[in-house]
Amino acid sequence: MSCVCILTPVVIAAWPALSATVVAAATSMGYTIVKGAQDIAETLEESDTAAKSVEMEIANSQVVTERLGRDQKIIVARDGVTITFARDARGRASLCVAGEGTEAELRAHGQALSQRVVQQYVYDKLKHELQARQYLVVEEELDENRAIRIKVRHWEN
Amino acid sequence: MKQREFEVLIGPDGTVEVQVRGFKGPGCLEVAKWFERVVGELQSQQLTSEFYDPQEQVQYRIDQRH
Repeated sequence: MSCVCILTPVVIAAWPALSATVVAAATSMGYTIVKGAQDIAETLEESDTAAKSVEMEIANSQVVTERLGRDQKIIVARDGVTITFARDARGRASLCVAGEGTEAELRAHGQALSQRVVQQYVYDKLKHELQARQYLVVEEELDENRAIRIKVRHWEN
Repeated sequence: MKQREFEVLIGPDGTVEVQVRGFKGPGCLEVAKWFERVVGELQSQQLTSEFYDPQEQVQYRIDQRH
């Protein structure tokens, strides 16, 4: 072994890529995606009348978007908890968690999902970049802590 | 050809730990830089004893036959 480094991810993505990542992460955690104007309106109304809601953001994130994409949202729901992802005024990925439960419980839901989104983003980006460099992924596994372990090999002249 | 190997661990919160193997000398730092460009901010970096080994050299021997 020659060196070991630890990196904190920075999420920089266009809205379509981020929303695809949110969908993948949310469905892997059992959330359903709220689709259709009627469903979205009903879900947002329920969120507005929910006992509590918590606003959070994904740290080190930047959502690159066109002017038309500024009001885009993606809404996911599970067990009476609704999480709305959007781009905030500063361009960061933000989420609003609404539903029954204490503020700490809602924050825990939001944190768990936002962490899964970041993990999914890093996984997708690394796989794409490794493939572009023609590095060979020889092993891949999900451990008991839900960490993804990837072994990569390549040869140099 | 030299075989290079990396082991990447993406934690549940997205934090990435990369172990770079098969390099002698500072060549591994280039790989670490590449991961930094792809993933994000470098939190810590630990160099192992192989880092201080002399860098690898490739020798070519060309025989000319008439």
